Amino acid sequence: MAEPFSSFRILCEKRSPHVSDSATLASNGTDVGSFAGRVPTLPQAIEHAAHLLPSQGPITSFVHHNTLHAFEELPFHAALEAGSATYGSQPYLAEDQYRRELARGRILPQDLSAILIEDLGDDADALIGCLGTRYQLRLAMLQHPLRSGTDAEMRWFIAETSALWRFKDEVRPELQARAVGKTQHWVMRDLRGNGVAADPRLERLAAGLFEQFQADRIEHWNPEKWAGFTLHLLWRVCRSGVHGLAANPRHDVRRARHRDLLLAAGGPDIDPWVNKILIRFCGCFLDQGFAAWTLPHRNEGFWRAFAELYRQSSPIRGWMRNLPAELRRIEAAGLSPLESLAESLALLGVPEHETEEFVAQTLLALGGWAGMLWQMETNAEWTVHPAPAGSLCEYLAVRLLLERLALAHGMAELGLTGIELAELRARLRSKVHHGQRASVDRRAFAVFQLAQFRGWSPAELWRLSKAEWATLVHEIEEFSGVQRRRVYHLAFERHYRNQALDAVAAHVRRAPAPPVEPIFQFITCIDEREESFRRHLEEVEPACETFAAAGFFGVAMYYQGAADANFVPLCPVIVKPRHYVVEEVVYSLQDSHRRRAETRRVLGRASHRFHTESRTFFGGLLAAVVGPLASFPLVTRVLFPRLTSRLAQSFGRFVQPPPITRLDLERTADPPGPEPGHRGYSVPEMAEIVARILRDLGLTARFSRLVIVAGHGSSSLNNPHESAYNCGACSGGRGGPNARAFAHMANDSRVRALVRQAGIEIPATTHFLGAFHNTCDDSLAFHDLDRLPLSHQEDFRKASAALDEARGRNAHERCRRFESADFRLSPAGALRHVETRAEDLSQARPEYNHATNALCLVGRRAWSRGLFLDRRAFLTSYDPRQDDAEQTVLLRILQAAIPVCAGISLEYYFSRVDTDRLGCGSKLPHNITSLLGVMEGAASDLRPGLSQQMVEIHEPLRILFVIETSPAAMASILERHEVIRRLVRNEWVQLAVIDPETPRLHWYRDGQFEPYQVDSVELPLVRRSVDWYRGWRDHLGFASIVPAGDARGAPAPDGTSPPGAPR
Amino acid sequence: MTYETIVALLGYCVILCPAVLLALLGLAQLAGRPLSERSTAQATEAAVLLGLTAAIGMLALMLMRGTRYVPIEFGNLVFIPEQHFHFHLKLIFDRLSVPFLILSYALVGTVGAFANRYLHREQGYRRFFLFYAIFLLGMVVASLAGTIETLFLGWELVGLSSALLVAYFHERAAPVVNGQRIWSVYRVADAAFLIAAVALHHATGEGDFAGLMGTGPWPGGHAALSSQQALGIGLLLVAAAAGKSGLIPFSGWLPRAMEGPTPSSAVFYGALSVHLGALLLLRVSPILDLSLTLSAVVVVLGLATALFAALTVRVQADVKSALAYASLTQVGLITAEIGLGLRYIPLIHIIGHACLRTLQLLRAPTLLRDYHRLENAIGAHLPGEHDPWGRWLPPRMREWLYRFSFERGYFDAWLDEYVIRPFVALFRWCDAAERRWTTLLSGGKGRESDQVIAAHEEEPL
Repeated sequence: MAEPFSSFRILCEKRSPHVSDSATLASNGTDVGSFAGRVPTLPQAIEHAAHLLPSQGPITSFVHHNTLHAFEELPFHAALEAGSATYGSQPYLAEDQYRRELARGRILPQDLSAILIEDLGDDADALIGCLGTRYQLRLAMLQHPLRSGTDAEMRWFIAETSALWRFKDEVRPELQARAVGKTQHWVMRDLRGNGVAADPRLERLAAGLFEQFQADRIEHWNPEKWAGFTLHLLWRVCRSGVHGLAANPRHDVRRARHRDLLLAAGGPDIDPWVNKILIRFCGCFLDQGFAAWTLPHRNEGFWRAFAELYRQSSPIRGWMRNLPAELRRIEAAGLSPLESLAESLALLGVPEHETEEFVAQTLLALGGWAGMLWQMETNAEWTVHPAPAGSLCEYLAVRLLLERLALAHGMAELGLTGIELAELRARLRSKVHHGQRASVDRRAFAVFQLAQFRGWSPAELWRLSKAEWATLVHEIEEFSGVQRRRVYHLAFERHYRNQALDAVAAHVRRAPAPPVEPIFQFITCIDEREESFRRHLEEVEPACETFAAAGFFGVAMYYQGAADANFVPLCPVIVKPRHYVVEEVVYSLQDSHRRRAETRRVLGRASHRFHTESRTFFGGLLAAVVGPLASFPLVTRVLFPRLTSRLAQSFGRFVQPPPITRLDLERTADPPGPEPGHRGYSVPEMAEIVARILRDLGLTARFSRLVIVAGHGSSSLNNPHESAYNCGACSGGRGGPNARAFAHMANDSRVRALVRQAGIEIPATTHFLGAFHNTCDDSLAFHDLDRLPLSHQEDFRKASAALDEARGRNAHERCRRFESADFRLSPAGALRHVETRAEDLSQARPEYNHATNALCLVGRRAWSRGLFLDRRAFLTSYDPRQDDAEQTVLLRILQAAIPVCAGISLEYYFSRVDTDRLGCGSKLPHNITSLLGVMEGAASDLRPGLSQQMVEIHEPLRILFVIETSPAAMASILERHEVIRRLVRNEWVQLAVIDPETPRLHWYRDGQFEPYQVDSVELPLVRRSVDWYRGWRDHLGFASIVPAGDARGAPAPDGTSPPGAPR
Repeated sequence: MTYETIVALLGYCVILCPAVLLALLGLAQLAGRPLSERSTAQATEAAVLLGLTAAIGMLALMLMRGTRYVPIEFGNLVFIPEQHFHFHLKLIFDRLSVPFLILSYALVGTVGAFANRYLHREQGYRRFFLFYAIFLLGMVVASLAGTIETLFLGWELVGLSSALLVAYFHERAAPVVNGQRIWSVYRVADAAFLIAAVALHHATGEGDFAGLMGTGPWPGGHAALSSQQALGIGLLLVAAAAGKSGLIPFSGWLPRAMEGPTPSSAVFYGALSVHLGALLLLRVSPILDLSLTLSAVVVVLGLATALFAALTVRVQADVKSALAYASLTQVGLITAEIGLGLRYIPLIHIIGHACLRTLQLLRAPTLLRDYHRLENAIGAHLPGEHDPWGRWLPPRMREWLYRFSFERGYFDAWLDEYVIRPFVALFRWCDAAERRWTTLLSGGKGRESDQVIAAHEEEPL
């Protein structure tokens, strides 16, 4: 600071109006002409920059997608690098987290070395001086954590710990002995006596050391003393070696924004000032009906509303004082928001070629809100209050206006007066300290540690030339933390991939044969949470068969239930439904339905009134009187959640719509629409859907008497992310109605006639039944049981008994993951436990959703039936023998399955590796805002992504697809479909194929398919799933579950433990 | 066993339960052997249940015997006769403290059960329950306080735990900043409180409420002060209450308190500690009775806060801020009721409001689901502009009101600009002056710390 009194004076002077403010135009007279030329290019620049913003829309319909979607054009690792540079996010897990995985066997040493060799290629054997090969050096760096820190930390560490007195614990004794031995020779030969005199460098090196160690008794030193001496000497050698080496060129952090430079130069952080206003304003602007007062002039757009709010104000905060005047000036000059934006850019001195970068960084300063504005503007016509077009531009105009004012104020606080904003960046850049210096201590300490691990003695290092030292340091710095983590990550993936492919290869040979005459067939969503359900069902009833297709079952519709107010889309987010389906109460119960609807309306109005009035002046008074009554639900809800919800349900039964309803599914008039008559599907449309799904499933013959189709969803309390737990193929909706509609269509005899023409003969004795599986409380509800033919009641009774048993077992397997569930729970107890979780206000983990997903199998169930996949695998049914030569069916399946599964896998990946920046942090302080998303606390950026509680048990791996087809067929699909190609080629997903004829595996690597060499043919064999997973919380390995006497040539089951599991 | 022993036993039990819990959780961590989640939960549950049972037992006994005033003496904690200094620890059970005590136990206990599951597997689980124990102890001591210094002790414990809980996520900046802000507001309130306590001692020679207010049990009693003294001391106490309860102009801290985990926001700021100011005013209500001016100040302050908060709540788009200001509306009203000379009504109001608000805050994350259900029941999108009055105001007035509410009454800005800024500027000036002098005297670089490079500027290897 130049002058001690300046800051105080500036603070005082700020208040006097005559201080000219370089943020306003009054003084510097930039004319409109100088920036008007930029206006036309701005919307495009903003649109480009908007791609970097999170693309999550309103949280009420949560769709999983790749968090780094903006970089999908790049290969995975390059995209991570770009992502880190843009968002400041972590690309991989932290190094010590990987090391922990190494310690508990989720990564093996051979995985590390295999990946390292593969990664280095021909460079693996490159020699680093005479200190070994590059491979050895890197392996040592991977195996042992290298401590590092700031210079001050390093100095403290050297001076205060035993770092120079004892070898690190991990160093093997023989290496220690070798280093000490060589040092002894060197010391006795060269350092003491004549050698030193001959070499002044040596003299300097050893100066004072012998005195410190009392060298007159050197021949009687014990080993500990020699070790200490060796390490001291080693440290000195390392320091002198790295001394004077040039710094590695380093990418400077891109600081396009004035704010970053101002902060780096020691000025105030202006972002909190500006964000505080904008967070609140965005919240009010985007509010979907929470606040009692709507923002005045909201319909006139972001800019207008903001200007109207502040034009006549007299702000108290110093930096905002000029805001009203500035707004009035802009209005008087007749500038549109875009022109004002262009003007701000000009005033801030942002040249045209830098606009996009600057805009992107500015938008990312409050990325969550900016992203939501963009989503509400472009992609949310279905919401109550979408944002008008151009909102993001106007937001940016407002933001830059505020930033200009804040910068002017911040500049003054820093003591920079009398310069224009346009010059600010140049001025600050010269002020900011450039940390381009190489730290001798840190470099020396890295070599010092490596020398111990590799057994280099001080003498060997002493002989290195300066050039060799430079190479060594370069090698070490080249293999930076990010690089090491990348290798670890690849090894992590390799371990799981090999295990999975080995397991598939081994299991194919012993999978039980599918039943010849299945007694019922069960169709679910491909969701990995249904994997265990199917497995248990097949265990309970070996004579049943299961299938899976994307959980909207081809029925893309807007749906409105009998008790729903609005239509909701139930289909993947990329599909725009054309059909509308309404649930209606049967005619005979319609009177009661109307009465109940009226009661519900009255109750609903009353409780909404109470809800809002309890926050007001007089309403609150009343609320306080009835308040003590609130203690009853409060205590029971918290202490007895399951009982309370049961009670509430039984009361609710009196006002719920009557139980017998039907879908208004058949359309009699064109075109499809929400009005009566236009709702639903025509018979040919239905037939097309049915034929298509059956073809996808490979279910074209051998129909059983009962076919159950189950959609899925999840219900939980106190969970703003509830929608994320629902069916991904229904845009975060519940898939029950889809399953019901599909069953309805497939039962129609006219539809069956048309389907027969398409070559699929559904016997008249086959009945389809829709169902809904709640993956949180593991309940299973059947639809349209009143239409079940009498002839099928016995079949249903059998099937439902098996399903009941299966859901108990499924709940039991799920409970092994919940720390609060006792291992000794019975299946019935497990069901009670998961039911409580779903109804518990205080439960932050109602279920684990897609956490741990890692695999997607596409093919016949025949080869995966009985394989224990630990709820980690999406399972998609596909029968290559029924596909045509162009793989039409496979392409159809994959174009949905690969993007959807990749989206889920990648969102989990990124939310796990950086929960704070790419996920939404911890769930505990979340605060629902504008009915659109969550903030942390009362004012923060909107937090898209997944919470820590959702991802904590996830292993961040890219999903591995194992598809039953030939390499050539898969290659042709890659050629044909752009999205699949991009995800696969750029390695956002891993891919392997299994040949339908011979169970041989190929995996996709560097752009082509290579035969997969099976690592190990051993796959544990057990009788029941529970024998495998019992008593273990962590991830489990693969196993074959084969009931006695049902294996094809399988050896007798053994009791082999899962890797790492206690015996 | 005689009646007196039973009463004494119950009284000790009420206060010892949270104290022992705090000692257990705290010492275990100090000794480096923190309790497991399970044992923490069990200890908490046991302490709360036992304390609650004792409190209810006490209530039952008092009702049976018709006693309205049960003091429990602990004697002087600190006593220095030469300095005329004593710290007198005394608890009283009467019509004010018993309901408040039972309310505290019930709500804190429920929230403890809630937090036990909500914070499962959380890194700061033990820290949370440690602060929780401090809070519980503070609430119990403050409710039962029989002397002004005892009340101050409880008051401080509540303040400390509240600020620490707001800053619970201390790895992020915002919670720490907001926690600190709350801490500083509390300091101001505490200072006012402390001065009032000293003044009270000075005027009456002791801080015992019984001595101060005559012998009649609450809410009877007459303070042995002159009207002038009452006004002076009363104003200080009102300032203390205003800081603690977030009355204007300190209201800005209440939404900031929402940085902590949902359960702590719910019980601590929404329900209990925000009512502590009202408790203080109720406890010293005989002083209010002495001075009409003082009562008027309390009424005006309460009503102004209630009006301000009722306006501000209307523009909040996020559920937790909305609930914070909704709480404030009621706290303002309660304060006004106290100023109007009512005693039982504000007490009932506090209990009702605390229960309701706790439930609403605990359910806050379920808002989307609740709204969806209501929408389905009503059969249409929820009415957005649910406000019967707004329509009658002229547009200019409405805009002004909207801006006023949007800016939250400008109170935070005002404090920042006219209190904090000059304060900081003064100290910066002192700092600069010191630097000049040291540079001059040392004849060179005045401060070694200037050369230290911030750690974040160096990159790890």
